Amino acid sequence: MSTPAPTSTPSTVPPLPPDAYVRMALVLRVGLGLSLALLAGGLVAYVVAHPDASSSSILAQTPILSYLSFAGLGSGLASGSIEAYLTLGLVVLVATPILRVFSGFYYFRRAGERSMTAITFAVFVLLLVGVLAIGPYVR
Amino acid sequence: MVRLSVAVDLALFVTLLVLVAIAAGLVGSLTGLGGGVVVIPLLLILFGTSVPVAIGTGFVTILATSSATGAAYVRDRLSDLRIGMFLEIATVPGALIGATVTVFLTHANLQSALLIALGVVFLAIIPGTLSRRHIDIPPTLPPDSRSRRLGLAGEYHDEKLDRDVPYVAAQTSPALGVMFGAGVVSGMFGIGAGVFKVLALERFLNLPMKVSTATSNFMIGVTAAAGAGVMLAAGYVNPVVAAPVAIGTAFGAYLGSRVLPGLANPTVRLLFLPVIAALAIEVILRGLGLQ
Repeated sequence: MSTPAPTSTPSTVPPLPPDAYVRMALVLRVGLGLSLALLAGGLVAYVVAHPDASSSSILAQTPILSYLSFAGLGSGLASGSIEAYLTLGLVVLVATPILRVFSGFYYFRRAGERSMTAITFAVFVLLLVGVLAIGPYVR
Repeated sequence: MVRLSVAVDLALFVTLLVLVAIAAGLVGSLTGLGGGVVVIPLLLILFGTSVPVAIGTGFVTILATSSATGAAYVRDRLSDLRIGMFLEIATVPGALIGATVTVFLTHANLQSALLIALGVVFLAIIPGTLSRRHIDIPPTLPPDSRSRRLGLAGEYHDEKLDRDVPYVAAQTSPALGVMFGAGVVSGMFGIGAGVFKVLALERFLNLPMKVSTATSNFMIGVTAAAGAGVMLAAGYVNPVVAAPVAIGTAFGAYLGSRVLPGLANPTVRLLFLPVIAALAIEVILRGLGLQ
């Protein structure tokens, strides 16, 4: 005699609390809003500050290479560099989903779910390895 | 194909990028292919960007659009966070490998091979988009042991049916395999590869269509963050190209999903897919040196 397939969440694993969904949606909205504001503001400032620039000069360079380190970005922001603020906009955009993974780790850990905590932590570490190790290594 | 053959003033260049990105976001949203599939060929063909910069910009496009639409899915609890995060253990390593391969191919001056592969992947995505199953509520399959242990199940409220619909994930091993492949494709080419993710969610995990679509969207942002992190840190994201494209695509996707939802039907999809196929063929011809 075959066992009927379960059609709902197994009782041993409680669902995530409702505030997990609300806060993750908030992380996405705030991160996207902040990054688009930085990118839009930086872009307008860049166009105003470079009246003689052309499409060919832009395509021939990557104006953020100096700011792809913590020290470079920090000093660029402190000195008011437009390129540093554009870089920050990109960093916030990339960091938004990474923060969302970290918030998942937080909620699963709080719920005491060891397997999902380990999985989300591994994903979080892999994402950091990509940004902090693989990218600079292959540059 | 028309190309921006002369250097233009920066303000005009940025304005053109925003306008093209709005159109790309709109078409990507209406066809369900996402903005990157339209933006990347247009950047290569119309604006003459290098292949890695076009791919890096594709990642930025995905991040902007998936965060914009993903927030609504998460808030409405259509995205299954547990299943999405579980599958990211496969897509993220795939994307890291894919992006690294792209950087190495660029360093090895194999951009032509990358162009050909890019065009072939775009062509391969089109039939997948047309043949999506779209069964609202699939028949129940028994969960495997991993699905039971991790509680990969849930329910959502279906407004059309006016009832809560329970679901449970099955066949997690093949789903993880497909997700790893989707991650490699996403990381190599700067696209969301949502077609492959939905395939794994619907056909292997046996999730309802709405949950599959929302969960795929949730995952696309994290997969793109893996690829984008590598490309940004490797110096292949040009912010003066990426910023107007991100802003324009996000706006175009918003238009497509909120203001013009009635246009997102199979007829519109059939109308635009040949255009995307033509762009893909153009990219392949460029890779072969025939343009």
